[in-house]
Amino acid sequence: MTESKRQRQKAQTKEHLIETAYAVFSSRGIMAARMADIAAAAGVSHGTVFLHFNTQEALIEEVVAHYGALIALETHALAERCGSMEELLRAHLGAISAYEPFYTRLVLENRMLPTAARDSWIDIQSAVSLHFNRVAERESSRIEKRGIPDAMLFNMWMGLVHYYLANGGLFAPEGNVIRRHGTTLVGSFLKLLNG
Amino acid sequence: MKTCIACGMPMKAAEDFPGGDQSKDYCVYCAREDGTMQSYPEKLEGMTEFLVRTQGLDHGAAHETAVRLMSKLPAWKDMRTNA
Repeated sequence: MTESKRQRQKAQTKEHLIETAYAVFSSRGIMAARMADIAAAAGVSHGTVFLHFNTQEALIEEVVAHYGALIALETHALAERCGSMEELLRAHLGAISAYEPFYTRLVLENRMLPTAARDSWIDIQSAVSLHFNRVAERESSRIEKRGIPDAMLFNMWMGLVHYYLANGGLFAPEGNVIRRHGTTLVGSFLKLLNG
Repeated sequence: MKTCIACGMPMKAAEDFPGGDQSKDYCVYCAREDGTMQSYPEKLEGMTEFLVRTQGLDHGAAHETAVRLMSKLPAWKDMRTNA
């Protein structure tokens, strides 16, 4: 086998492991998943996983960085076209919804994750806070902030969304919180803002 | 699509680039008023301030996070991370 073909196969296996780990993390939890679970789900040996990721921590960091970047990119792509706070909040939920089970694991587990994965989590939030702040500034004459600092306003929105996701089993047992409650969350938050 | 070498933000529209100059590899938030790229200390302070102002992070936690995030970006990869 030529070197380039071997390298290509190695890259494909790594990509397959990242996708598989994403699926396993989404369904079973990030910290609860074992390397052996991911190897079995990917149809490779335990040793193959360690060939690509020296430690479980390295695997978690890479999966969270990869999918965190996708969620942040999706947020940027949807948010940059938004002219109003309502559009922005809908765009934010839209970006999350495509990754809802995994994102929910991040909501629940981020404090227990390796430092680099927690940094990826902040990167996702920064993609949202950047656009939230821009729209809030633009709409400052229309939005009734009542002297609430921008960060607190942002955290009130995030707190609301994350509370519903963290307790998804109570709010949407069928497994899709955003689809079921997204419109109500956006509408209620806007009513608070606009009085 | 370009990604800012100094903060990682995706840059698509002309308004994302300093002075609308799409040949630049850094974004409007990482540029000084004269269009040149901010220094490491300037960007570190700016990113820390952004995290505090828009997400309410503790200043120390924001600073440490900014140091780690910047260490992964192409513009700052060779910088010491104990700034």
